[in-house]
Amino acid sequence: MNNDEMRCVITGLGMISAIGENVDECWKSAMASKSGIDHTKTVDTENCYSDYAAEVRGDKWDNIACTEKMDRVSKLCIKAVDEAMRDAKIEGFGGSERAGVIMGSCVGGVVSVEKYYTKEKSAELIPQMPISAIASQAAGYCGAGGAVMNVANACAAGTISISYAADLIRAGKADVVVAGGADSFSSVPFAGFTSLHALDANPCSPFNHLSGITLGEGAGALIVESYEHAVKRGAKIYCEVLGSGISSDAHHITAPRPDGEGQMNAIRWAIEGSGVSETDIDYVNAHGTGTAKNDEAEFLSLRTIFGGKNDHLSASSTKAMTGHCLGAAGAVEAVLAVKALTENTVPPTLGFSDDDLGLLAERAGSIDFCPNSPKKKELDTVMSNSFAFGGNNASIIFSKKTGSMKKPDKLPEICITGLGIVTPAGNGAQKYIESCADENAPGTADLCSSVGKDEYDELGLKMAFYRKLDRFSQLQAVSGMYALKDGNYTVNSDNATDIGIIVGTSEGSLSPVCDFEMLIAEKGNANGSAFKFPNTVYNAAGGYLSICSGIKGYNVTATNGAQSGLFSVGYGMNVIRLGRGKAVLATGTDENNEIIRGLYKDLGLAADTCVQPYSHNDKITLSDGSTSILLEDAETAEARGARIYARAKGFGTACRSVEFGKLTGSGEALDTAINNALADAGMSISDIDAVVGFADGHTVVDKIECDALRRVFGDKLAKLPVISVKKKLGEGRAASAALGAAHAALMLHGDIAEYGCTYLDDAEVHTGTVKSAALNNILAVAFGTGGSYSAVIISR
Amino acid sequence: MADSEIKAKVKELICSNLGVEPDVLDYDTELFGEDSIGLDSVDSLEIISFVDDEYGVDMTGVGKEHFLNIDSIAAYISEHKDN
Repeated sequence: MNNDEMRCVITGLGMISAIGENVDECWKSAMASKSGIDHTKTVDTENCYSDYAAEVRGDKWDNIACTEKMDRVSKLCIKAVDEAMRDAKIEGFGGSERAGVIMGSCVGGVVSVEKYYTKEKSAELIPQMPISAIASQAAGYCGAGGAVMNVANACAAGTISISYAADLIRAGKADVVVAGGADSFSSVPFAGFTSLHALDANPCSPFNHLSGITLGEGAGALIVESYEHAVKRGAKIYCEVLGSGISSDAHHITAPRPDGEGQMNAIRWAIEGSGVSETDIDYVNAHGTGTAKNDEAEFLSLRTIFGGKNDHLSASSTKAMTGHCLGAAGAVEAVLAVKALTENTVPPTLGFSDDDLGLLAERAGSIDFCPNSPKKKELDTVMSNSFAFGGNNASIIFSKKTGSMKKPDKLPEICITGLGIVTPAGNGAQKYIESCADENAPGTADLCSSVGKDEYDELGLKMAFYRKLDRFSQLQAVSGMYALKDGNYTVNSDNATDIGIIVGTSEGSLSPVCDFEMLIAEKGNANGSAFKFPNTVYNAAGGYLSICSGIKGYNVTATNGAQSGLFSVGYGMNVIRLGRGKAVLATGTDENNEIIRGLYKDLGLAADTCVQPYSHNDKITLSDGSTSILLEDAETAEARGARIYARAKGFGTACRSVEFGKLTGSGEALDTAINNALADAGMSISDIDAVVGFADGHTVVDKIECDALRRVFGDKLAKLPVISVKKKLGEGRAASAALGAAHAALMLHGDIAEYGCTYLDDAEVHTGTVKSAALNNILAVAFGTGGSYSAVIISR
Repeated sequence: MADSEIKAKVKELICSNLGVEPDVLDYDTELFGEDSIGLDSVDSLEIISFVDDEYGVDMTGVGKEHFLNIDSIAAYISEHKDN
């Protein structure tokens, strides 16, 4: 019983890794049991106990026009995207809003970070540093104009990207999405894993010697397409994308749960969501990193799920060939899993001696781990698993069969039932409401939020927990816990897997990455900090929030510029609509500290004196904070008697990719995002009573907002109040984007009775006051550098 | 170097680099395990790295009993460092 509307297929593949510069080369290497691991010569290995890596060697592949100034990670990504597009016989998307790019990464533009801190502090390198740049640049390359986002969930990012791509298509938000992941080998991950003693002194040996990982690098790209769209254009179809599961451990920031609970949740949800059973899975491309903690938990998970139910299961870890490609791992492994499926051949797990095979037999139960050599076998359905720092788990299923994906009967109504607000004006929703009484501009252009022991004590966070958190994670943990408290939502064993987290962030953990780079630049790669390294992954904040709240459901960190803080709300709505959870904490978090401010200064963007929206400036008031919005399925919220602030009615996003770090020329994508949000909500422009805008005083930003609103609202704009949360609190990027939605909810609920606003009629800007009693529907908009925009409609 | 100096330095490391608040950390406070201040294996790597850098004493693979508290770490350092 399959519903064609729910069918997603793979129509193109691209891959680059240590074992090949394209899919054919990689597959041939895998079939020849060839490993790409060798001694590295690209990073300093002095005094390091291991010098192995699986690198993309040579530079013949690096010849794609327009990528010259990009970081190595984006070049790897675009190489794989280019191959996948050609394979799918798509020349380009021509800016279509029905085409998206979702890319995973762990360390992002870390090669640019290294150059900046060790060679030349060139401002040109700065936009290449954050993970945000990757999908935006790939979207520019292939002309995608729809949802463009990076999934920053460390080693699970590649798998989550493909899962989310399929979800976007199943939700009707896209016809085709380029999904995958990319990461490059460099000093930061090398020194980081060295400091954790997580590298194998020899080439890694997954499910065997368990003495650590070998880092790899590369990219994988898959063209994920609706079945209908693929058939219509006569595309070659590799296989179906069936269900997927995404979970969080709520356990530890680097170590997986020894009992495998989170891993097994992800695997079970993938199987259930596909409408297949355990016995239908013929092959698992396992995470199999080669560390004892991961592989022992994974042996346990696989044996528990499949033992007694599946006597023909094959599994393998291809990381003994490709190395651990971090955020690209799930993507390159998905490509290998799809190749395995279509070639009816299981790729091997390398590294077993005759003696090792005896121990493997004991550990593996009835599962065939295909030691050393590939194996011909009829495959109908395969699974790929990825598990990550932060306690994130992801599992996805590819099949020659259609499975039995169920379309939700009806779209649930989504309520906002809790708000957690951390701003430079104070912490907690109540403090924010009180602060709104004073709308005066801040006296400084350097605004920082502050969280500390008072908040930890109030929220019941213990020192053994919060001492580990970097400031970005602190802001996120506090705002997330405030949102749960404000929503009177108690996470317990009955609902822990029903609630998820979507962290939206522009720069994420960029400052811990820079801080770590400065440390190893000074002390050498052998002297990184094991304490600091885990906080360099962007999803650490979401992982910590899962640990302190007990949330075990969906958990994704989404990043693509400042708009990520509003995109997270739309992402969360999609999670609930597709039945992946009943509640989601959707957040926006970014920090302002010495490092971030230094980077904005070097870009010439950080003002020295306060800049106000619509002031025709070329700088901004840099700020920070975190806003968490508890979204909840209306039925669940009403059943528990929750206070309902407002309803999240519609979401739209679009991208017109321009050079990353710039915005000029991308404004029409904002029109598309707004129109998509209106369509999603079933509304027209006449339903919108006010807008929470994104103007921050920078002429380019402000003009894009004004021009787009003028095009979309026409004459109505003259009387449409435009509210700004940045007037008082500066440019907090993702924090401001999410705060815009929270502010709208607080006005609709009457907590903020009136607020200053701007009327953008003609070339003039007039100020006024808007009373909340007159408002029923508020549109919140946000921009992201590189040309991505989000729009959300919040209703009474 | 007197034991008291070593203890003060180890405490300083645990407070400034591992985020532990000084007022909950005495020299006999249990560091790892259920009833402790909650250090874990990642923290032990930082302590080992610090002890190696500062005193030239390698504590890699050393038994748990030497990581009970600051007293036992300092005792191990005193016993093994070159004077």
